[in-house]
Amino acid sequence: MGFLEKQFQENVLTTKVDWLLNWCRLSSIWPMTFGLACCAIEMMAVGCAHHDIDRFGAGAFRASPRQADLMIVAGTVNFKMAERIKRLYDQMPAPKYVIAMGACATGGGPYYKYGYTVVKGVDRVIPVDVYIAGCPPRPEALLEGLMKLQEKIQTSSVIRKPARTA
Amino acid sequence: METQEHTATIAESGESRVLESGEREYMLDVRTQDMELNMGPQHPATHGVMRILVRADGELITGAQPHLGYLHRCAEKIGENVEWLMYLPYTDRYDYLAAMNNNLGYSMAVEALMGIEIPRRAMMIRTICAELNRIGSHLIAFGTYGLDLGAFTPFLYMFREREWMMALFEKICGARLTYSYIRIGGVFNDAPPGWLSEVERFCDTFEEKWKEYCDLLMVNQIFVKRTADIGVISPEMALDFGLTGPMLRGSGVDWDLRRDMPYELYEEIHADGAFDVPLGTGERGTVGDCWDRVYVRVQEMMESIKIVRWCLGAIEPGEVIADIPKTLRVPPGEAYVGIENPRGELGHYVVSDGGKVAVRVRVRGPSFVNLAVLEELMPGALVADSIAIIGSTDIVVGETDR
Amino acid sequence: MDFQGIYDRLRAIEAPGLEGCDEPRPANAETKDKGRGGDPFCLVTPALLPAFLEVCRDDPHLSFEMAADMTATDPGKDEEHLWVNVQLLSVSKKHRLAVKALLPKASPVLPTTSGVYRTNQWHERECGEMFGITFEGHPDPRNILLPDDWVGAPLRKDYEFPREYHGISCE
Repeated sequence: MGFLEKQFQENVLTTKVDWLLNWCRLSSIWPMTFGLACCAIEMMAVGCAHHDIDRFGAGAFRASPRQADLMIVAGTVNFKMAERIKRLYDQMPAPKYVIAMGACATGGGPYYKYGYTVVKGVDRVIPVDVYIAGCPPRPEALLEGLMKLQEKIQTSSVIRKPARTA
Repeated sequence: METQEHTATIAESGESRVLESGEREYMLDVRTQDMELNMGPQHPATHGVMRILVRADGELITGAQPHLGYLHRCAEKIGENVEWLMYLPYTDRYDYLAAMNNNLGYSMAVEALMGIEIPRRAMMIRTICAELNRIGSHLIAFGTYGLDLGAFTPFLYMFREREWMMALFEKICGARLTYSYIRIGGVFNDAPPGWLSEVERFCDTFEEKWKEYCDLLMVNQIFVKRTADIGVISPEMALDFGLTGPMLRGSGVDWDLRRDMPYELYEEIHADGAFDVPLGTGERGTVGDCWDRVYVRVQEMMESIKIVRWCLGAIEPGEVIADIPKTLRVPPGEAYVGIENPRGELGHYVVSDGGKVAVRVRVRGPSFVNLAVLEELMPGALVADSIAIIGSTDIVVGETDR
Repeated sequence: MDFQGIYDRLRAIEAPGLEGCDEPRPANAETKDKGRGGDPFCLVTPALLPAFLEVCRDDPHLSFEMAADMTATDPGKDEEHLWVNVQLLSVSKKHRLAVKALLPKASPVLPTTSGVYRTNQWHERECGEMFGITFEGHPDPRNILLPDDWVGAPLRKDYEFPREYHGISCE
């Protein structure tokens, strides 16, 4: 920690504001219970004892978007649902993250060509942080995706840099 | 219209409903007005993305209207555009809890048009897989139903057994959820060495665990109070609505396609007395209530174990797939094949004009049909009971919307 | 009862609208299971379909208590007719019957059968949006799977896929 290190007595830890906030955020990501299709079953499997998403602090599935940090879009999104997903996303408090789980949420998946109601990727509706491949992805893949998201959160910064003047 | 009149009579007479025992249950002496309440599409108790527009007068539901289509994935249109064999992976994805059964239904429909003879070993493996998948599906139905009613623990236990079942499927075909293992003409490959004995071990363990689950949930007083006498479906109503599967049998109608219109090996299995068809008896309440439907499912898991055991005893080495060309050309004609899915009759209506691509693939999803009964079942129930009623229909939204 | 028996019975009681039947196909005669609804079907005049189904339901020898399925088929771009298919199932007699009605594509109008079998109400809503069939007297003729403002009947063979919907591109 450079300058601040060893300036205080024992039992005082020094850290950066960014690191601390990010650590708080990434260690307790609360996902929303939001299963759309097949992938939701694998999401449930991740929540259960065998794979146990709680190990990563993301086990508290919330039914309300207002209490959730992470939206795992687990399944196919169609036009009828897309408007609702947008609304749910808007209801989530910032900072909010989105994982597109599976081929359908990533890019339409097997329904790309002939699915007349299928949105070809949820990123056409809301911004996505992490994409997970698979149809459906294995529970391990979802955990990997969660770890990738944690890595991404670790790099974010709360301190706004001053806007550059031309 | 009906519901409005219904509400009017309630408001005039100042009473809410007549209980089964003939007692009248009075509402509080306050003036209430109808309120429309949206359940879903994102709601933990709707088992997927489904919206139910509930009209409630205080705690009393006076009308319910399910809105579907939040997961419409155009499976039938795809069936008309891709080759016969290429459609198989899409069948996995409409009832994703019972993908093996869907594979079986579609394969059987195409086989009915082609008139292929299936090797006996293939039929054995098909039956084992379909029944194991039925157990897995009922485990989810049972576990999430407990979850709906506030019991979290059974859910975790059921997933323990389900993980084992999925590991078994992973060993045989490599996928956990969407298998595409049962192919037109047989199954994709033979069971790996040691697989059948592991299935036997699974059966042994499951029988023990099953008793625990029954003790844990089925006779639990809180569970019984939440489900008994709630959402009663009469046999006439069940037939009129075209309900099938545990929804129909829960109402005491003795109908199981596996026994009454047998396909594959089920005729032989039933002749050996290897399985029974459990029916709703009204043990804890009225015949056809939520408890009955759930108990039928729970008992069916045990019947499935018996069928699997029969197959394990009778299986012999041999071919597992008939000789079929890579590009199928199906003779012209049409066929409707219904099989007993965990949720009821899964029908495939296929029409061929002799080409590489189907003219029509129609999927009669049991969930879609079973869901329609909600419109009739919910009025008169309390808001808290609506969760119990929806959960007891055991729908999979991928199949209602297809 | 097998198909021939059912068909003879329908002839004997002069079921309304019965036009004829399709021959059972010999292609899969040997391997055909009893549980299969299979190939033969009864052809019925569309306008009399509800009356026909009512007879099938109420006749003591047929007693089709349940409509297992109701759907429509567009057999091809050049065909002039849509098919309406109903699969009947008798729980007490353990038999099935496939019923088919030919509807002209130019004016696909059919009286509703939801009064006979309640389950057909949702099937008809689905047929209505997917094939553009109008069901006269239907109590609730809204779209069921597609959004309310959807244009076109997707399961028709001449359907064109949408390019965008509410600002979401489909390309």
